[in-house]
Amino acid sequence: MDRLRQIKQFVLGNFLFSEDESALADDTSLVRGGLVDSTGILELIMFLESSLGIKVPPEDMTPDNFDTVLAIDDYVGRRLATA
Amino acid sequence: MNTLPARLAAQVRAAPDRPALAAEQRSLDRAGLWREIAAMAARLGEAGVAPGDRVGVRLANGIDAVVAWYGTWLAGAVVVPLNAQAAARDLVTWLAHSGARVVVGRGDDAAIAAALPALPAPVPMLEPAGPVPEGACPVVEPRAGAADLAAILYTSGTTGAPKGVALSHGNLDHNTAAIIGYLGLGADDRGVTVLPFWYAYGASVLNCHLAAGAFLAIETNSQYPHLVVQALERHRATGFSGVPSTFALLLEHGRLDQADLSALRYLTQAGGAMAPALTRRLRAALPRARLFIMYGQTEASARLTFLDPDRVDRKPGAVGGPVAGVELAIRHADGSIAAPGEEGEVWARGGNIMAGYWQAPEATAQALRDGWLRTGDLGRIDEEGDLWLAGRRSDLIKTGAHRVHPLDVEQVIAELPGVREVAVCGVDDALLGQAVAALVVADRAQVPGEMAVKAHCRAHLPTYKIPRLVRFVDALPRTASGKIRRADLATELS
Repeated sequence: MDRLRQIKQFVLGNFLFSEDESALADDTSLVRGGLVDSTGILELIMFLESSLGIKVPPEDMTPDNFDTVLAIDDYVGRRLATA
Repeated sequence: MNTLPARLAAQVRAAPDRPALAAEQRSLDRAGLWREIAAMAARLGEAGVAPGDRVGVRLANGIDAVVAWYGTWLAGAVVVPLNAQAAARDLVTWLAHSGARVVVGRGDDAAIAAALPALPAPVPMLEPAGPVPEGACPVVEPRAGAADLAAILYTSGTTGAPKGVALSHGNLDHNTAAIIGYLGLGADDRGVTVLPFWYAYGASVLNCHLAAGAFLAIETNSQYPHLVVQALERHRATGFSGVPSTFALLLEHGRLDQADLSALRYLTQAGGAMAPALTRRLRAALPRARLFIMYGQTEASARLTFLDPDRVDRKPGAVGGPVAGVELAIRHADGSIAAPGEEGEVWARGGNIMAGYWQAPEATAQALRDGWLRTGDLGRIDEEGDLWLAGRRSDLIKTGAHRVHPLDVEQVIAELPGVREVAVCGVDDALLGQAVAALVVADRAQVPGEMAVKAHCRAHLPTYKIPRLVRFVDALPRTASGKIRRADLATELS
């Protein structure tokens, strides 16, 4: 499974409680849309760290990196490239 | 007796050029803020809002929300703050029950768009107008008096019995003056706030800053602890208020050690008991900031007690003595006064105590007795006059900055096909204090599954009310007479 789908399925399963990929667009705002709150962001980061092998430093916790599935995938890609 | 809009008007007249608010890319001085407030009041008047009418404010924290609150007050009307995370069903309940004349909200808000057509009578929506061109704007004296109703804060969305705490201008002003007094808040203070204005705590932080002539930065990225710490540094914040999970997040993920927070002279904590270990960590991380541990209720405008910062290290767990103008008493279940040091229910009276619940005489009669508020909290007062809380008599769940009535969640889950019975309670959570949990008795022929329960809640409830834990059980714990033993629910889940 490609990385973006893996991230999207985590968000769907843990915040939308759905397996229907059409329920969430890749560019939907997770926080502004009310899907993910502060504890949700932490869950998301734990998932990225445990499943995708990256470390997320506190200063990287920003809307630019985490507000959409696309942004998260992009961020993970950049972290992996610099690892 | 003063009022909050009158206090703000006085601050504008005294120093119109001083900075008042900042949020995201905007900032306003006092005169600029007043111009927007006056414009909002005029628009509300044009929309037919008369003194005493209720105005729903469905806006996330930001300058527009402040303008909607104070514009409503300048029009002599009553603010009904609507939780910006609430789903349509709660909005319908609150708007219908309050009889809102107008809603201030956004056109792209799907929940409010779904709620408005479901109301018994049409309620028009005004969108925030944003910046107002510079120009002279006379500061007219707000006409609301201390006895006039200022706000209705809904603490439950339960269908059939919504509880709207009705607070007068006198209530809010009384409490605001007390808080400004003990925090020593003045025009040189600069606050950063992340607390939602639709809750009493967040509203009091906003109102205290405006009334004291202090500057307030509204940080809208509260989900990102590092950005909150950056805002504290950038604004040279002198004060910051949070609930226990706010501080836990900042300590864990905020990189406090790398920020220059030397201007931070005080912190306030309310919204549920903070674990003494967390208090110690916070004190160690920010030793120069005086930490005010506070206790209150929406029914008391916000604040009932605060612990003198000099006692925080010595008395971990205490919530302090009454704020100015408040009297506390510990009473037995029959209303008789408890002996000194004895545990009982906390009763309170003072100018900050609500007039009652909006159009709910039975609930009001249960909460108010002979001028006293029965808080529903249990506690004792020690020999120094400090209150120690010992749990709640009611089943309210405190999760993060939120309060959740189990019935609100139970009603939603009970609608799901295959659910025969459900009971909701709070279970201990290291970060949130409590997390929402549901015990579900399902039909054997049609078990809905955990995902289905959560997905159904997602569709009808805000995120913080969705149970983090769903457990299917054969039966709910009941008393001999058949009532659910709520006290035993959490045990069933552990």
